[in-house]
Parts: sequence; structure tokens; C-alpha cells
Amino acid sequence: MSSVTAPRYAELVAATSFSFLRGASQPADMVTRALELGHAGIGIADRNSVAGVVRAHVALRDAVERAQGAGQPTPYFHLLVGARLGFADGTPDIIAYPSTRRGWGRLTRLLSAGNLRATKGECLLYEADLFTFLDDWQLIVMPPADDKLLARLIRAAPCRVWLGAAMPRMGRDARLLERLHQQAARIGLPLIATNDALYASPAMRPLHDVMSAIREKVTVQQAGRRLGANAERHLKSTAEMARLFATAPQALEEIPRFMAGIHFTLDQLRYEYPHEPVPHGYTPQGWLKELVWDHAHARWPDGVPDKVQRLLHEELEIIHSAQYAPYFLTVHDIVQYAQGQGILCQGRGSAANSAVCFVLGITAVDPTKHNLLFSRFISPERKEPPDIDVDFEHERREEVMQYTYKRYGRHRAGIAATVIRYRPRSAVREVGKALGLSEDITARLASTVWGSYARSYDRQRCVESGLDPDNPTIARVNDFVTQLLGYPRHLSQHVGGFVLTQDRLDETVPIHNAAMEGRTFIEWDKDDIDALGLMKVDVLALGMLTCIRKAFALIETHIGRQYRLDNVPGDAPDVYEMLQRGDSIGVFQVESRAQMNMLPRLKPREFYDLVIQVAIVRPGPIQGDMVHPYLRRRQGIEKVTFPSPAPPHDPDELRHLLGKTNGVPLFQEQAMKLAIVAADFTPAEANRLRRAMATFRNLGTMELFEGKLVHGMVSRGYDVDFARRCFKQIEGFGSYGFPESHALAFARLVWVSAYIKCRYPAVFAAALLNAQPMGFYAPAQIVCDAREHGINVRPVDINHSSWDNGLEGNELPFTLRLGMRQITGFRQDWADRIAATAPFADMEQMARRARLPQRALHLLADADAMQSIGLDRRTALWEARRMPPDELPLFAAAQAGELAAEPDAMLPTMPLSAQVAADYQTMRLSLKAHPMQFLRSLFDAEGILPCAALAHATNGSFAKVAGVVLVRQRPGKGNAIFVTLEDEGGIANVVIWARLFENYRREVMAARLMLVEGEVQKSPEGVIHLMASHIHDRTAELHRLSETHNPQTPPSRADEFVHPQHPRNVRVLPQSRDFH
Amino acid sequence: MIEKRRGALRIVALPPAACALGLIPGMALADARARIPGLPAFDHDPSGDAALLMWLVGACERYTPTVAASGTQSLVMDLTGCLEVAGMDEGQLHRDLQARLARQGLQSALAWASTPDAALALARFGCARAEDLPVAALELDGGVHLALQRAGLRRIGDLKTRPRAALAARFGTQLPVQLACLLGEEDRHITPHRTPPAIYAECRFAEPMATLAPLLDVIRALAGDTERQLAQRAWGGRRFEVTLFRTDGHVTHLSVASGQVLRDPARIATLFNERLETLADPLDPGFGYDMMRLAVPVTQELAEEQADLASDSRTQGNITALLDRLTTRFGAESLCRFHPRDEHFPEYAASFSPMPPQAHEWPARAEGDPPLRPLFLYDPPQRTSVLAEVPDGPPLRFSWRGQQHLVLRHEGPERIAYPWWKHPDGHGPTRDYYRVEDDQGRRFWLFRHGLYGQESTHPQWYVHGLFA
Repeated sequence: MSSVTAPRYAELVAATSFSFLRGASQPADMVTRALELGHAGIGIADRNSVAGVVRAHVALRDAVERAQGAGQPTPYFHLLVGARLGFADGTPDIIAYPSTRRGWGRLTRLLSAGNLRATKGECLLYEADLFTFLDDWQLIVMPPADDKLLARLIRAAPCRVWLGAAMPRMGRDARLLERLHQQAARIGLPLIATNDALYASPAMRPLHDVMSAIREKVTVQQAGRRLGANAERHLKSTAEMARLFATAPQALEEIPRFMAGIHFTLDQLRYEYPHEPVPHGYTPQGWLKELVWDHAHARWPDGVPDKVQRLLHEELEIIHSAQYAPYFLTVHDIVQYAQGQGILCQGRGSAANSAVCFVLGITAVDPTKHNLLFSRFISPERKEPPDIDVDFEHERREEVMQYTYKRYGRHRAGIAATVIRYRPRSAVREVGKALGLSEDITARLASTVWGSYARSYDRQRCVESGLDPDNPTIARVNDFVTQLLGYPRHLSQHVGGFVLTQDRLDETVPIHNAAMEGRTFIEWDKDDIDALGLMKVDVLALGMLTCIRKAFALIETHIGRQYRLDNVPGDAPDVYEMLQRGDSIGVFQVESRAQMNMLPRLKPREFYDLVIQVAIVRPGPIQGDMVHPYLRRRQGIEKVTFPSPAPPHDPDELRHLLGKTNGVPLFQEQAMKLAIVAADFTPAEANRLRRAMATFRNLGTMELFEGKLVHGMVSRGYDVDFARRCFKQIEGFGSYGFPESHALAFARLVWVSAYIKCRYPAVFAAALLNAQPMGFYAPAQIVCDAREHGINVRPVDINHSSWDNGLEGNELPFTLRLGMRQITGFRQDWADRIAATAPFADMEQMARRARLPQRALHLLADADAMQSIGLDRRTALWEARRMPPDELPLFAAAQAGELAAEPDAMLPTMPLSAQVAADYQTMRLSLKAHPMQFLRSLFDAEGILPCAALAHATNGSFAKVAGVVLVRQRPGKGNAIFVTLEDEGGIANVVIWARLFENYRREVMAARLMLVEGEVQKSPEGVIHLMASHIHDRTAELHRLSETHNPQTPPSRADEFVHPQHPRNVRVLPQSRDFH
Repeated sequence: MIEKRRGALRIVALPPAACALGLIPGMALADARARIPGLPAFDHDPSGDAALLMWLVGACERYTPTVAASGTQSLVMDLTGCLEVAGMDEGQLHRDLQARLARQGLQSALAWASTPDAALALARFGCARAEDLPVAALELDGGVHLALQRAGLRRIGDLKTRPRAALAARFGTQLPVQLACLLGEEDRHITPHRTPPAIYAECRFAEPMATLAPLLDVIRALAGDTERQLAQRAWGGRRFEVTLFRTDGHVTHLSVASGQVLRDPARIATLFNERLETLADPLDPGFGYDMMRLAVPVTQELAEEQADLASDSRTQGNITALLDRLTTRFGAESLCRFHPRDEHFPEYAASFSPMPPQAHEWPARAEGDPPLRPLFLYDPPQRTSVLAEVPDGPPLRFSWRGQQHLVLRHEGPERIAYPWWKHPDGHGPTRDYYRVEDDQGRRFWLFRHGLYGQESTHPQWYVHGLFA
């Protein structure tokens, strides 16, 4: 019968997880399952979206590569990419597959049109759109559809319309199939068999039910018939489909006929670079050459050094052969614009560290001074565009983005998408809700996930929070959470990855409206863009660049010296000494507690040490247990050896690779290259490992490589332990890749910011404060650090301050004058008017001249900023409350004050402790005193040491300290909690082991003033820790300062208990792909 | 005590022990639990609190008729002229009230003052003199409060002597008014708690009524009184409430509701009769009732009705009346009917319950198609032995209750998977339902229990229902 000879089935209506909350399998899983079933192909059609098709494309490519690698025959498999069009006007769902590249462009234009007319996240399509765009498509109409529509479709697209039939086992299947059959015959349409698949295998049904419940915002229990009745909508085998369609075999025979008409694949999305940056009469390569040599001669008027010449020649040759000149020109174009506007920027990434980029001013890292581990900055054999990310000042990046839109036009420039995925927290919250758990249980479960970037859901943490992981419901939640992790949740715009095309962008990929006004983004994320080889320029924001630019500007105004990123002197022993002391508050990248502890151990002496310093305190080296071996070797405690394989392999095969890092792999490139060399990966395997690690960060893909890598290394004679550590390290890089090329660019900023901090501390503090919010520390800590460095800091004052923090005095070290931006809730336009009309003799005069509303006066009075007109906080406030609530238009004409004189209010004087408390309340810092000062006598009586006294305590002795909590962090695996306390004289670093933490959970999490008893531990480098044994919450003591003011002692921005996310700019680098 | 506010469970009230641990009202429960794992929490019950307060208000009517609740936690009494009636002086009354409250297990803070505002503030802040009150007692908004604090003015005494105009200029005109209230310079009247309903009738007995025998007659008489009042306004009642005041101060409320708008004294008396017979605790007249009141708290328009000759509406009325009587007698929970539920699984797709119909409709039948579901469902389904093709062929013949049935026509399967969330294991057999017709023209609903080869090697068959 026909079932024996039936053609291999192919599911042409397959939804994936990118039909958000409708499809329950990832695109790659659908493709893999179809291959397993021996299907002839699959059609990926997500609801009004093509966001998932690239992943399916890549999954097929990987599968073919894998089969080739294993020497297996590669089955013929046809991947159809299209979309399921869902209409807003009741038109039935229609599956559209473009048969040509032109058809693809029309599909993406249709989807763009639907996206752009809707508010974010929806796609509004109408029947008329379908008829406008359906050229070069093949269509499957999903029933029920009325005859009229079908007839019109046939007229519009003759021979390109099919009527979809499914057998979902709903009790009436045979009856409905017969009716469809009749309808198709009546209209003259072929019937085509599908299963309208929503997931790969029937086992996915529960997950699909949970996702449906999340979508419908109900619990699974209440969802009723909104859930599927059965698990039938999976990919079915050819035999089963043949059985289901036994009465209509011709519907199955239509499938190969349908597929034969589709000629489009994603590989046809040929990419053409924009032509803008190339003047008429030049080829891109010719223009790049000319630019490079012009710049080179300008930089070295006495002749370009030989080494540079050689490098430039080499690089231009590679660029020429790979035809990447337009890419470099585009990046140069954007950078040039920014520089013209005085916006500080710096490129990073492997290609950015080329001599070409240095000469063109894209980066300040001189490639001639640093022998990069890998001179080859692009790999021609991989046919992927080079990698340059450009960081701009965070306050002014929008200008650069708007320039890019303007220069290339909105129809040709779009920002890449970021696929927002289910993270443990979000997954726990939504799954818990869908399973009907009460809100507080869900909250508790979610709270067991530490930080929103946590990768996995931790059973141990579940136990810690008092929930039983074996309880069936909890276990079920955990089970679904594990399944849901990594599933896409919605699309959002990438922070700054621009895709630029020569032709209409919306004919390559659909465009969406972003939440932000004036922004549009495309439907694919950077991994998709990489996979298809489209060009992307990353326009990123970096707070430290804002800070550095502001510092440069202050230095220029007050000292007259002009600094640029590339002319800050590179050798300054005093700066290295400062870093070696761990004195790095505010310095880019090395200001975290972990970095500050590492500095005295690593003792950076030259620039490359900073590169290592930046890279070493990262999940990769830490998880791979590479940090201590490196430190021991650096300190000379351990001999530098290179792991080597057994004969007959070259014993020195890693010497070149690990030479610069004392035989310990620290950078992402090293770890990758090591896997390839030492475990003898084929290029294809290496490519897949690279992709598994650097692109699709799905859980589970990495494990495939563990056995391969460890076994590969051991069989070649490497130590098992070393092999395991290497794998762990690669895994760690998977979360936050940190390649040398990025570390180099960042190290430059470390150096520049450290240089400013060391030589111009007042400038640095002012610039840092003016660039807030950024970095780890709160203003109070920045100010405190400046004062410790001998800087005189003066309070906010209406007659002396402007909006920004500024400098006073004529010579180094300057005095830092706090600006009005430090007053919580104050506005810049008020401050500008005050600065423009100062000085003032009294409040009424100021209110009148600067046209200040009463609220501004209240804030100024509250901040005690009227000292210079003889009003202390209390009298100023008494006076300010008397002013009429709005601006004072009446007084504009009359110059004399109108408010009648009042007798002195004789308010009680405010004690200093209350002043300090009020300072903290209004500005979150006080120059008058530290809150702890007022409590010292109390604490002295209890035998509590000042934090500074820990320095004199002997190692192993017992001590008690108390202070305001600055930072609480629980890094890495969470074995220990780090708490930093501050008192009037210094800080104390407290370590709390996780077990102790459980006893003192409440104290640790709630205390703003903490008393810790414990043992003093001193490392040979002079790092002092207090290993806590008892913890007390003494927050109540703060109320002693003032009965009426509850001082806000803000923890720093790095405090994970208050800000469970990474502070801006600490967000570790994006994944990179620059290794070979 | 917790309550859901802005999407999070937050603490609304705490015992002193919890306050000592640093917990504060308004804190999220999750935060509190993070600090104190296993912290017991209970749902806040504002209506319960309010009911308790109302009960206290009622109980305090023994001292004065002018009692009112103030906010959610306090009540205020106007005792002017009442002490003599009660036969107590201030101290005695204070002790008496405190003792009674303590007997109820309540903590209390009592204060006397010449104005209600001052008394409430003194009680709340535990001060003896108005001058000692913190400025928070002014109950002005947070900004003004903070500004006063910042100015160093912390107590009412600090404000008392300052020129009021200067204060008003700075802190708003409300401040001097509030200040005057606290200082007893200005009085505000108490609005007593009980406002009588628009329609009520009462009667006082010269001799306390010590037995329940005449009760219904009195109700009927009072109902006659209310009937006249209701008819005047063209109203009827939906709820009726009888209040029995016992000589010892105990108060009992009895109320009945009716499905129909009503004012007929006989019908009202009947409903109360049913109510009295079904009381869990019979009324205890003790030393007798000295007063009774019938009130109609819920009224509705009721036009004068002309007798209708058609019998339909009368039947309808009879059913409603019957339902009223049945619900009053047996309780609303005893009357059940089938309601559709939004479920795939047939057993769960209907419920037999007294609840009012839900939003769901019975699944509509596709036009021209035979019904998907039978009229009669066996609970539990009945075992049968079936001859069918593997893996998922339709039944060809089956024997049930000792009889062989040859299947002539069938339709299906309708595959319904097990609702995994109802079972801790998360899985159960899938069912394949078939509608079949045998050689006698009888129609059955059969299902195969478990997918062949996947869930079961020998799936069982069941008859689950019969079609009409």
C-alpha cells in the first residue's frame, strides 16, 4: 500500500519557542527531532515572526557538520523558513514560505509593517497586507477558511496556495477532513497534510501547558480548555502520519511538491556593506589605504616606524583579501563623528587591537608596544566579519546613535535585538504562578536564586530557604524551571549593536518598534547576525569614559594641560605603587572588593600586568582554579612549567600559547586554543565548541564537549586534573567570556583612570561624582576616599556651587566643592539659574533672581546649602517655608523684598549629630562628621575597636568592630559573604562563611550598622580580613544621632542585597569570538 | 498579619515581640522571612477587625449612647453627663472599662480629654498632657511633619506658644486648626455609629418578654407596620432584620433574606419562622426582652401588582417562593444543580454544586454534528471488554453487562490526556474516546484507557456514558 512507499514526511507547520509562549520547543530541538525521525525537511513558521529561523538554520548546519565530521552520510533535509501570519481582522492563519530571496524581502517587509503599526511586542496584520505582499510566496491556509477568501487567494497566487489539514484527534477529525476534502475539491485547491506542531515530542506537553497558562495569565488548574486536550501536536513519524491520513494520501503527497517549489535559504542573504564612507572615485580598499597612510604620516611626521609599516602592510593585505575595508571605514566614520563632537570613545575587540585601528584613532592601545598573543586579528577561513566594539561616553552615546540613524537612514540602520530569556528568577516566578503557588512561596523560591544572572537553579539554596526540594509541587516547579531556562521570553533591543545595510534593511529582517522613542530594532540578535555574516557595529556606553572626559576637561581648565586617551604617559611608578596598595576606589574595573584584594597580590608593575589583573578576577579563571597557580608562579613560589603531552607529541606545544601568562591559561583565547591544540579538536569541532560557548548560551550544549575535551587531553598524555580544570575554565568563560583583546582595551582605561586618581585626586573625585550613576561606589564613599587622600572637600553652597561638582583654588591639590547635583531631587535648571545669578545676600533675593520655586528652596535649606548667607539648616528652612509656593513673579518688578520682617524664631539649635543625620538624609553623605563618631564612646565601652585599629591587631587575634555597611557581596559559588564596614576612621573587610550566614541571616541582610566579632586574618601582602564569628544588628543605635532624622546610610552600588544586578558598566564584556 | 499590597505580601500588623526583632509594618513578608526564616504569618482580616471594633462600639453603648469608631483601631465616647447615669466616677469607669476589655483579651490605651481629638491623640501616644504629644499627633502630611522635625519643633508644647500666623504661613492653614483641636480649644462632634435604617418599626414591652411564644406574632405585627411604610414609598424589602434587646444589655440580631422583593407580613413571618427553627443555638431570653425592632436594611422598588390571570408568572413566583423557603430552611448550600466547568476531562467538566452559575457555558454543539458528549455519564466508568485493532483502532465489538454489541458505526478517537497537575506523579493514562452505535441503534461512549505501546501493553476499555 501507499504507506510503504509513502514519501518521507516533513512537518510544514512547526512553531518554536519564538512563537512566544505558544511553541514549547527550541528551534534547534525541532530540527534535531525532525532529523531523528528521518523527515525530509521541516518548515519553521512562528507566529508573525522569523526570530527563530536562524537558530534552526544553525542547528541544521551543525548537524550536517557533525555528520560530516563523523564520516556519516548527510541526509537530504530541506529547511523551509517562513512565518505563520496571524491576522487582526479574523482572517484565518496563513503559513507563508518565501520561495525566492525576493519573496523573503516581501515577507520581512510585511512583518515590519505589522510591527511598526502596533505598539511594542505585537504585530497587526490585515487581509489587505497579505494581498499586497504575497508575490513569491507559497501559502498554506489553516482551516476554517471561507470559500470566498480561498478563491481570491487562488486568483492572486495561482498554484501557490494549499489548504492545510490536520488530524489532531479531537473526536471529529474524519468528519472535518472529509469536509475539507470537499471544500478543496470545490475550489480547486490541493489539500496538504500537517500536524500543526507546537513541540518536538509528546513529553513536552506539560511544559506547553505551563507556557499556555503563563500566556493566559491563569494557573494550570484554572486554564481548563485553554490548554490542549492531549499531547498530539508534536512531530510525528512518517508511518504515523500515513496512518492518520490513510483516507487522504494525496495530502501527504503534496508535501514534496510544496517543498520543491521553495528555493530560498538563509544563505542567500548576501550582504552588502553600506557605501557611505567611501568617496566617489575610490574603491573601499583604496580609500582605506589612503586614510591609513595619511593618518600614519600625520602621527609620525618623521617617518612611520618600520615595525608599524610592516604591520600595516600585513593587515591591509588581510583586509583586502577578506574584503573587510568597508567595515573598517564604517567604524572609522562613526568614531570620527564622535571625536569631532568631543565625545570620548575607544574601540575594543580583536580587530580593534590592530595597527590599522590604532592609526585611525579607533583605539588607544599601541599594538607595537604589546605583542598580542595572536597577531592575526581576523580569520579569513571563518568568513565572519571582524569584531570591533566601540565604547562611548554613557551620557552622550545617544548622539552617536542618532548620527548613525541619520547617516544611513532608518530604513537601512537598525539595532540588533536581545532575546530576553527566562532566567532562574523570572522562570521561578512565572512557573510558580502558573502552578498556583502562593505568592510568598514563589517569592521565597525566587529569592533562593542569587542575582538575576545566576545560571542555574540551586537545590541547596532551596533547602536553605526552608523549602523542601522533594515536595512534589516544589519539585515540579524546579523541573519546569529547569526546562524553561534559556527559552526566549520576549525581544528587546540590544544595548548598541547596529546593523547597517546598503539596501532596505526591512527586506532582510523584520523591524520592530523599541520601547524607547525614536528607536527601532531588528528581529535577530547578535548571534543570529554573526551566524548569517551580517555586519554589526557595537555602539556601547561606558560610564568611565564620561568620567575621564570630564576629568580631562577639568584638568584643561584648571591646569591647562591637554590629555587624550592616547597621550597619558604610560610609565609612572607612583601610579603603579598606588595600585599595588589596592588603593583603587573609583578606578575602572579594579575597584571591586575582589579586585582590590588581588592588586596587592599581583602587584602590577607594567601595563601587561593590568591586562592580566582585569582578566583574572573572572568566572573563567576562578572556576578553572587558575588564579592561585598564576599568583604562586608570579611571586616565584612555584616554578613556571608548561603542561606537556606524552611523546610522540611536541612537548612544547603549549609554550608559545601560555608563555606570557607563566604557563597558566587566563584568557578566553588561550583556553580555547588550548582545547584545540591539546585535545586535538578538528577545526569543525573547535568551531562548534566556540559556538556552544560564545554564541548560543544554552544550558546543556557545553556538556557534550566535556568528555571530548578531557578525554582528548588525557589520551595525549596530559594530566587529568589539568584537563578538568581547563574544561571548567572554558565553562566559566561561557558565562562571561573575557578575551585578551578586550582586557587590553580595558587595561588602557584602568591605566588612564588610575593615573588621574593618583596625580589629580580632586579632579578624579569631581569627575567621578559628575559622571554618576556609574561604578561601584556611592558618592559618600568617593568623597570619603578623596578626603583620605588629603583633598579638602567643601559643602554645597548657593554662592559657591554649581550643578556639577567643581574645583576651587589655583594649584594642586585643588579643593573639591560639592555641586548641587548631590542634593537628592534637585534639578539642573535650578542650579544653572542659581550659578548664573549668584552671589546672593539673602534667600528672598535668590528666590527672585534665580526664579526658584519653593521646593528648590526647601531642598537647598534642607541640604544646609545657605551657610554663606548666614543661615544654618534650621533657620534657612524656617525662612524657606515662608516663601510662597511658586516662583515669585510679583517681585520681578519690585526690587525690594516684600516679606515682612519677623522676630527671630529662636529655634532650638540643632546638635551636630542631628546635622550629620540630616546630611545623610538629604545628600547621603556628610562632610561634618561620620555617624560612627557619635557612637564611639558607646562602642568604646563595649570594647569595640575602630576599623583602622585592625591594622595593628595581631594575626589570629580576636576583635570586635562596628560600622556602617557599605557593601555586601556573595561572589562565585556563594561559600562566603563579603561585607565591608565603614567607621569614622576607615573600613573593615568582613568575611562571613555561608554556614554562619544562615544563623545570622537577618542581621546580615538587614543591618545598616553592623557589629562583627571575629578573628583577624592577615595575608602576607597585608590584606586584612575579619573572619566573623558573631554578628549583631546595631542599626537602632543610628537613631541616637537624632530623634527626628533617620539617617540614610546608602550601601554602595555594588551591594548585591540591595542591587541584585550588576551595576552599570560592571556588566562584564559581551561574548567575543576572537580566537582561532 | 499580612496583606497583599502592590503585588507583594506585606506586613500590616505585628505583635510586640516581632517589633523587637526589627520588623516593621509595611515590610514585605519575603524580606521579613529572609531575615527570620519560618516567621509565622496570618492573613490580615480587615473586615474581621472592623467587626470586632463594631462589636466593641455596641458593647460600649452601655456607658453612653454616643459612641463612634475612629479609624480602624480606636473608638471614642462622649461621656458628658453619662457618669451620673452609670453611677460611676471617672476613675471607676476607667477601671471598669479596662477590666472588661482585659477580660476579652484586648490591650487598651484609655485617655480622657475635653475634646475627642485630644483624647484620641493622648490615648494613641500614651501621653498625659497635650503639650507632651509629638507633632505626629497633628496628623498632617509627611512633608509638614518632617519640616517641623527639621525645625526642631518636636512636641505640641513647642508649637503652643508660637504665633499661629507664622506657623500657618509655613506649614499650612490646617496646622493651627489641628493644633486647636488637640489643645482642646476647639471641639468636634462625634457622629455616633448607629444610624437607624430608613424603614423600621419597634416596640417596647412594659413587662420583659420572657418566652419566645409571642415572638412571631410580634414580628408579624411589626411587619404590618413596615408594610405600610414600604407601600407608601412603593418599596419592598430584600432583607429583614430583627433586633432583640435583652434586659441585661445583650443584643441579638436575626436576619432573613428573600429572593423576591417582599413586604407581605405573613411571608416575612414565615421566613423568620424557618430561621428560628434552624437556629443552631436556640434563643435564650434570659431575664426577658424589653424591646424589639424590625428593620428593613435592603429595599428595592416594588410596584403595586395587579393580579395576573395568566398562571405562568404565578408558577414562577411559586418556584421562587419555594426556593426561598428551601434555602432558608436547609441553608443555601443544600440546593445543588449541575454547572459546566472549563475542563477537558469528562469527570471534571461538570460540577454538582450550590454555587451560582459560573461564567462558563456548556460547550456548544457544532451545527449539524451529533453531540460530542453523552447525556448520561457513568461515575465511575464501567469496565467492558472490547475487540479493537492495535495501536489505536476503533472498537469493533464489545461486551457489556453480559451482552454483546456489534459496532456498526463509530467516530473518534477524541484523545484526552490526563491532567498531569492533578496527580503528584504528574502522569496518568491518556483516554481515547469513541462514539459508537451498535447493531440495535444504541449509542455508547467508550474509551480506551492508556495509549497502546506507550502507556499500557493491554489497555482496558470502559463505557463512560450513554447517548440519548
